[in-house]
Amino acid sequence: MTADSFLFWMLAAVTLCSGLAVVVISNPIYSALCLAMSMVGVSALFATLGAYFIAGVQMIVYAGAVLVLFVMVLMLFDLKTELVTFSRGKISGLLKIATVGVLAGFLAGAFSMTIEFAEKTGAATTVPTPDTSKALGTLLFTKYILGFETLGILLLVIAIGVVGLARSKGGTHAKH
Amino acid sequence: MGSDAFEITINCIKLILVFLLMVQAVPVLVWLERRGSGFIQNRFGPNRVGPLGLMQLLADAVKFLTKEEFSPKAATKLLFYAAPVFALIPGTLGFAAIPMGSPLHWGNYVFPIQGYDVGVGIVFILGVSSLGAYTILMAGWGSGNKYALMGALRASAQTISYELALGLSIVGIIMMYGSFNLSEMIHAQQGTMVFHAFGNTISTSWLPNWGIFYQPLAAIIFFSAAFAESNRLPFDLAEGEAELVAGFHTEYGGFKMLLFFIGEYGHMMVASGLMVTFFFGGYNIPWTTTEQVYQWALGLMDSSDGASALTSLVHFLSYMIKLGFFLWIFIWVRWTLPRFRYDQLMDLGWKTMLPWALANTIVSAIVIFAVSYSW
Repeated sequence: MTADSFLFWMLAAVTLCSGLAVVVISNPIYSALCLAMSMVGVSALFATLGAYFIAGVQMIVYAGAVLVLFVMVLMLFDLKTELVTFSRGKISGLLKIATVGVLAGFLAGAFSMTIEFAEKTGAATTVPTPDTSKALGTLLFTKYILGFETLGILLLVIAIGVVGLARSKGGTHAKH
Repeated sequence: MGSDAFEITINCIKLILVFLLMVQAVPVLVWLERRGSGFIQNRFGPNRVGPLGLMQLLADAVKFLTKEEFSPKAATKLLFYAAPVFALIPGTLGFAAIPMGSPLHWGNYVFPIQGYDVGVGIVFILGVSSLGAYTILMAGWGSGNKYALMGALRASAQTISYELALGLSIVGIIMMYGSFNLSEMIHAQQGTMVFHAFGNTISTSWLPNWGIFYQPLAAIIFFSAAFAESNRLPFDLAEGEAELVAGFHTEYGGFKMLLFFIGEYGHMMVASGLMVTFFFGGYNIPWTTTEQVYQWALGLMDSSDGASALTSLVHFLSYMIKLGFFLWIFIWVRWTLPRFRYDQLMDLGWKTMLPWALANTIVSAIVIFAVSYSW
């Protein structure tokens, strides 16, 4: 086993185990922390593929900002009552079983298609390039400019919408 | 890591040395902080144990190690014990990626004087230091204490808010040097000021070629945001004694408390190191280039290996002096300025620093394009 493949299997195991823990553990705080762990794992996997810039951004944006907000909000919950609300009831139980079924279907489909594709093209040989961030930037601002700008506008709409919603009932200064 | 056993061994030893350097600098900084605060506030500070109170550090270490080990009844044990350990990670990983001296050429080997050279240096450092918010949240929630939780929420909200201004303020620098790599940035800042504008080369002999002269606004925003990132006064709302006892580390004592301390000083060292690297020429001696120092060293040493080692040593000392200066500013500000109110803090971050950083980015982009465009 070479160092690269050892690194890959270790990081993949960390990412998948913490991903599994997100859904298995009933305490939402631990779930959110595990999600952060799996984000760090994904970021490290990007780094082993030579996509250092994406790895760094994954760490800054997802692990460093988005999930911190998740954890912050979760800490303000009264966990005991939330746990009971979310883990009892026939409809939610049915929903859970249905979700598991759909997920299993997706997984099986993904596996079989990957194997089929890999048999057709052979194993991919990737050569990590030293600096891909420049190439990435050029691609984003030339070939994929439409998608990039559309996403930017979408995010702007979301931000304005959230501010509008938050202020619609008087915001933080609302009188009850 | 390296091509043969010798190189791998040296690189591993280097990792340990950088970590020890960071950890060992903490007691010295604590001493400096106490003596400095005494000096600023016209009192003595620790002066009983040893000459100038220097042995106070050892006494403190013994105290921290022999304190009773306890955890509160309401605490979540796992998070309570994990948080102080995690507190060391962001500072250590970040500090190891900052170059501390010119690369050492020894025979056929080249050893960078830093823990490891990351291609996208600054993105990596921002990434690992953004993980610092988790340690605070884990400590605050794991303690099972309302003061600790409030302190943790404040601290992490503040860290996230100021990260935006911090990240945006250095975009101008990144565009100017055209690289994420810290070594390349330092390389571009050696010697006296020379730059190209509209096809002409403009040079002065009395200014060093430092980033601060090109991006003064970015330097100010970066340094103030760095204070907020490391939760130091005037931004230490997280541990406002009057309101929150001690914030997220209210329930911690002894060595666990010390680990948080080391983490905080680690953050300060990363911030100071980045400040030196972006705006003050990194390890270079002002007005000189790496090559000039190497030529001077060749005159003193017989071999090129020795000259390279001497050059690295001189640059390392130069870097340490600059780093020490900024660490002193951290301490100086702490004992000079009063604390902000929380809404003032958020206003400053979102309504003042973020727009200015954004404006700086856009203006820098336009100027860089204009002066390098062939009209």
